[in-house]
Amino acid sequence: MISVLVVVVAVLLQLMLVNRLPLPGGAAPDLVLLAVAAVAMARGPAMGAVIGFSAGLLVDVVPPTAHAMGEYAFVLTVIGFLAGRGLGNPVTTIVACVLVAPLLEAAVGGLVGEPGVSMAALVTQASVTVVYTLVAAPLVVWLTTRVKQVGAAA
Amino acid sequence: MRDTRRARLILGLLLAAALVLVTVDHRTGDGSPLSVARAGGSWLFGTAERFGTSVARPVTGFVKALVNAPGAQGDIDKLKAENAKLRADMAAGKLNAARSAELTRLLGTAGTGGYKVVPASVVARRTQGAFEDAIEIDAGTDDGVRPEMTVLNADGLVGRVIMASPRTATVVLLSDPASAAGARLEGGDEIGVVHGVGEYGRLVQFRLLDSTAPLTRGTRIVSFGSQRGVPYVAGVPVGVIERVEATPGELTRIAYARPFADLTSLDVVGVVVQAPSRDPRDAVLPARGSRR
Repeated sequence: MISVLVVVVAVLLQLMLVNRLPLPGGAAPDLVLLAVAAVAMARGPAMGAVIGFSAGLLVDVVPPTAHAMGEYAFVLTVIGFLAGRGLGNPVTTIVACVLVAPLLEAAVGGLVGEPGVSMAALVTQASVTVVYTLVAAPLVVWLTTRVKQVGAAA
Repeated sequence: MRDTRRARLILGLLLAAALVLVTVDHRTGDGSPLSVARAGGSWLFGTAERFGTSVARPVTGFVKALVNAPGAQGDIDKLKAENAKLRADMAAGKLNAARSAELTRLLGTAGTGGYKVVPASVVARRTQGAFEDAIEIDAGTDDGVRPEMTVLNADGLVGRVIMASPRTATVVLLSDPASAAGARLEGGDEIGVVHGVGEYGRLVQFRLLDSTAPLTRGTRIVSFGSQRGVPYVAGVPVGVIERVEATPGELTRIAYARPFADLTSLDVVGVVVQAPSRDPRDAVLPARGSRR
């Protein structure tokens, strides 16, 4: 229940606030990705994959959408599974998730022939997003685990 | 945490589901069965986003201000400099308009009398005590200005040039105690002499040579002119008699006149470089009743 709440809040924050921040570079951190990864790390691979799939579907239907439905669901399912399974320690897990996500997005987008998926976009746009997401990662992960602890105690 | 067979199975199923979704949505395009889900999400989250925008706006504005802060100081400085420049331009424009109007009037006066003038601006003024009243103008020998030339403005006689350098010239005003100019009563041939008495040019003394000639308040005087117009050309309005002194038994009569030209605030003046061939007599005087 707490996991669902965390993911929904992350999606809303991402769409209403973070995507509108006029940060230099024209990109913004991906809070949903971080929230999914943080929840999955606590809940294991099976639960992580399910939560990632749900969060991805949510992101896919929330306006504004210009991509085919299911793309984010695919990406976040993989991210949830990877984070739940764990790759070494938590830090390497998060970093790996953040780095893998844009590659997966590009791969799925390229698979269905999305316009705008190109090497140049991947290098310029995605790299800035990755940097912002890595910067935001400690805060989001700490917040998520904190909320879960409070929820478990209550 | 170790992944189990079950977890892998779930992962595979979900990925397959996602791919199916992508494929269906992509293949069917606008008529996609998933557009229902999308419309529902649109309605739900659209409402939430609209509500959240009012909450998010201050945060967005704050971050924007932070991000723009380094450039903002530069912008402010630039705008300030531009503002100051525009202000100065506007003041200069007003000044120029006023001077242009004064110059037009000066040329009108000069044309009436047939004087050929070189226009000039006052660049400095010297008023030491009441003993000396002189101005510096920005026309000199390069412009044809020579010593002992008449200086006037749109309203009347101002003084005469006593010294000319290539770019500037010094003018002794009518109000200087050392200046004396021949003058004539309007409408007649009674002549006298105008002396400066200091007082910053508010009044000049007029000494009428014929003590029996009628002299009343309000009579106007014009310059009488010297030989070949040096230093004063004839016919330039000098002033209006304000006060007549009773001087019984003297050979001359003394009156005080208010100069037509406001000698305390001179800006555009003209140096008469060539006198008219005929004495304009009273033609240059302003029409009766109109105060210039």
